[in-house]
Amino acid sequence: MRLFRAELLKLATVRTTWVMLGIGLLVEALFAGLYTGLVNVGELDREGIEGVQTSTGLLMVMLLVLGVLAITGEFRHGTASTTFLASPRRHPAMLAKLAAVLVFGALAGVAFVVVNGGLTFGLLGSRDLAAPPAGDVFSIYAGVLVSFALLCGFGLGVGAIVRNQVGAIIAALAFFFILSPLPELLPGNIGHYFPSQAVGSLHGSQTGVEEGLAQVAGGFVLAAWVLGLVAIGTVLVVKRDVSD
Amino acid sequence: MPELEVRGLRKRYGRSLAVDDLSFTVDAGRVTGFLGPNGAGKTTTMRALLGLLRPSAGEALVEGRPPGEMQEPLRTVGAALEATAFHPGRNGRNHLRVLAASAGLPESRVDEVLEMVELTEAAGRRVKGYSLGMRQRLALAAALLGDPRILILDEPANGLDPQGMRWLRDLLRAQAAEGRTVLVSSHLLSEVAQTADELIVIRDGKLVAKASLDEFTTGTATRMRVRSADTDRLGVALAAVPGATVAPDEDGTLIVEGVDGERIGEAALAAGVALHELAPVRSSLEERFLEVTGEETGE
Repeated sequence: MRLFRAELLKLATVRTTWVMLGIGLLVEALFAGLYTGLVNVGELDREGIEGVQTSTGLLMVMLLVLGVLAITGEFRHGTASTTFLASPRRHPAMLAKLAAVLVFGALAGVAFVVVNGGLTFGLLGSRDLAAPPAGDVFSIYAGVLVSFALLCGFGLGVGAIVRNQVGAIIAALAFFFILSPLPELLPGNIGHYFPSQAVGSLHGSQTGVEEGLAQVAGGFVLAAWVLGLVAIGTVLVVKRDVSD
Repeated sequence: MPELEVRGLRKRYGRSLAVDDLSFTVDAGRVTGFLGPNGAGKTTTMRALLGLLRPSAGEALVEGRPPGEMQEPLRTVGAALEATAFHPGRNGRNHLRVLAASAGLPESRVDEVLEMVELTEAAGRRVKGYSLGMRQRLALAAALLGDPRILILDEPANGLDPQGMRWLRDLLRAQAAEGRTVLVSSHLLSEVAQTADELIVIRDGKLVAKASLDEFTTGTATRMRVRSADTDRLGVALAAVPGATVAPDEDGTLIVEGVDGERIGEAALAAGVALHELAPVRSSLEERFLEVTGEETGE
């Protein structure tokens, strides 16, 4: 619990965290506001609204990077020595880190839901358009929130494995956005079990419901990826020397 | 039981051995200076003692146990390893708050150590804008945070101004006087000479000397400075003493090695020359250091 508090403080006391989340939120808010405010009423069908609800691309990038920075920053700036001096067995510190980035990702999710939901449904109302059923809206937002938390954890896992900051950012983004969608091209449904498709399932987009996993299953698949990566990363962090 | 112990420690990086079968102990209640030329393995040894790196062979023990088994690590060992190990975007106080949180220490302790290192004013500024001396102070504040029984400090005097050096010296002496263990590495030999009670000197990852400061500077060979009204006649007389080597020094005195003061006095009396000065020569720490580490051979 002490280590968890320390990790939360670490994230909160660095300006980068807030700048990245702020920019991500601002851009998504602009998109949601402009789209629901300006687009032809005819195009604001259910699919269109869901598209706005899950327009999270930039924030997903920010959260992946934030997760990566949570561990690679320690090695880059040499604070890893202090961190692992306070937690000599190291894995408790990694566990605390995972918990802290999950919390931060979830908080970013809450902020996104408030901003996006307020704008989207406020503007829909002002244009006399009916919102989709509350249950659907809720489940999509819940999926977005969970995906934000898990993406942060995903970044942490990749960062712990790669360790070099720039390398880890590139690896996390390339894996998630470029490599992970590729297996979808393979026959069978193996592609559904890769992280980017799992995020798609988690966001519950109705568009491709016949392909892909159910929302909850998508959540479990992504969580499994996160746990797997963080577990490998933790083993490496425990085994490797902390020098400089 | 020694507070810190290194036993047969070996650390290999690729093909090179950073530390090679190193053994020593560090006791409480004194300041132990850890000396060696750059690349001698001081930092590697300290990191092994802190559990930050895994020895290739041998062990490093804190209070008799591997550092990974420390129960309250920050209350046991405080370390300042490198003055640059801060996130540049975090301010000084927050750096300490993070550390305090991880050890369950109250925030009031953060203010206490900031006061101790005289960094209260700058605590709200981001570390990015700190001078090297300020970073050193912050690193020391972090080391002192848990009020630890053992301090391990790597080159803490680096970047400190003369007042800062004095302050550091007083702090280390006070910590040792309270019965704590202080291991401090340095390449500033004169600084160590004024602070340390005990010296550990390593070179190429091997122990070359472990002694108290007095033992170390006196060295093993007895050297005597001899002054007389008639240096030439005395020189001839002393050269005749078995085992003695006589060399003239710049200021007209003679440096005699290999025999003690008694024999020199007797030889002078026998030759009928009055002695004006007869004193042991203490080699300075710097000289002794170069001697034992073989630096002057230019290897």
